[in-house]
Amino acid sequence: MEEGAEKHKKHLAMVERLSKRSQRRSENAESSSSILSQLSQLKSSIESQLAQSLSSDPSDPSKLKLHFQNISQSISELEQLVAQNSYSLPSYDVRTSLKTVSDLKNSLDLLTAQLIPRKKFSFKNKPTATKKDDSAIPQPKQLSTLNSDFPTHHSPGFANKTSELLVADFRDSQVGEFTLSDLDSCQVRIIGSVRALFVHRLKNSTLYVGPVTGSVHIEDVHACVFVIASHQIRIHAATKSDFYLRVRTRPIIEDTNAVRFAPYCLTYPGIEEDLRAASLHDETGNWTNVDDFRWLRAVQSPNWSVLPENERVGIVDISNFQNGDNDL
Amino acid sequence: MGLLSIIRKIKRKEKEMRILMVGLDNSGKTTIVLKINGEDTSVISPTLGFNIKTITYQKYTLNIWDVGGQKTIRSYWRNYFEQTDGLVWVVDSSDLRRLDDCKLELDNLLKEERLSGASLLILANKQDIKGVLTPEEIAKVLNLEAMDKSRHWQIVGCSAYTGEGLLEGFDWLVQDIASRIYMLD
Repeated sequence: MEEGAEKHKKHLAMVERLSKRSQRRSENAESSSSILSQLSQLKSSIESQLAQSLSSDPSDPSKLKLHFQNISQSISELEQLVAQNSYSLPSYDVRTSLKTVSDLKNSLDLLTAQLIPRKKFSFKNKPTATKKDDSAIPQPKQLSTLNSDFPTHHSPGFANKTSELLVADFRDSQVGEFTLSDLDSCQVRIIGSVRALFVHRLKNSTLYVGPVTGSVHIEDVHACVFVIASHQIRIHAATKSDFYLRVRTRPIIEDTNAVRFAPYCLTYPGIEEDLRAASLHDETGNWTNVDDFRWLRAVQSPNWSVLPENERVGIVDISNFQNGDNDL
Repeated sequence: MGLLSIIRKIKRKEKEMRILMVGLDNSGKTTIVLKINGEDTSVISPTLGFNIKTITYQKYTLNIWDVGGQKTIRSYWRNYFEQTDGLVWVVDSSDLRRLDDCKLELDNLLKEERLSGASLLILANKQDIKGVLTPEEIAKVLNLEAMDKSRHWQIVGCSAYTGEGLLEGFDWLVQDIASRIYMLD
């Protein structure tokens, strides 16, 4: 019996709750326009408060803080109001109101950051940490000026040439990295040894290089012939090119196709000593151990092949400028 | 808190640190790891995949994950992020042209939540080559000062070829991690 009474009580309470809810809902539906006006009132009052903070006395940050706290409270009230009425308001109005709320929040954040310098927690001893905040905006500019400080001709090399014979002789001098870029229909001869070689954007060109004691990085080349000895070689985005290599390690290709490989075939007076000094005097056979990063399978990559012996050039002598030009 | 203290205890017992080495291809990651370990660095092929080296350094055991930097395999870096104590970003100081690439990849990496607690060592490698950018210039180009203030970071010039600067960099990294994880014991 008692159980039944309890149940009945519960049921009554539920009915009452439901009726109240539906009543509230219908009330809300009727007053959607009044809600909207309420919202816009709140919005304009917050906006004027925000505007006020700009003209307030900046020497008293505690007052300003209080002011901002009030604004943030009003914004959350506004947000709550939107949330409460999200059921009855048309979805367009809900969206615009939510947008208003987030816009107001943003402008409050901006103002706070502007008027109250944030105390930064920092591990550094430098007391300049707070000043850094202001420099956040001009930084992109700083970066672009930096870039112009380091133009590509910063490093020695040949760039932007068409149909030329370019010769660099390092037999008597020490050079670090050497860069070849944007060459079309050129022949390049590098005699002697360099530490690192960068090659990019070459077309229809031929490149003869003495021993490179570090690495060679090649990117974006088309219809070229390379004769290179080096410790490491990486080839990216190359098409229709032939590589005559002596490498201490496995050459790699990436995003490359129709490239062919053959053993090194270069000579000039003194190349034997240069090769020995660079630990490149022995044929390692690595010219045929190509790793294709776009073909990580056991079967042969379709992107590269061994250059057939009857299509290879013979030994190329680059000591005489007239020789060898028509060989390749 | 419970789990964290358990992890701390385990780590304290083993004094292990997990170090992730990343950076563009041709920056010298593998050479650095081998040089630190006193191995031959004259025959190193570009890394296809990754290498793991366990090195005893001071009183700690470093598990160094050296992950290949070729464009194709950079998307796999994420597989190694979990539980990284120290992040080593290696820069080829002689490769001016790809510094933009380098900055982009580093920025992407630092957005990664799983790496947010890791100490960051930037190695400006290949300082032995004539005319390369100095660590200060690289710091400017990479805009390191603008990094999240909560990040512990340091840039050190080095040469994997001569070995210069490597110990200085790793000393800082190990000390920084130790002071976070082992609470200055």
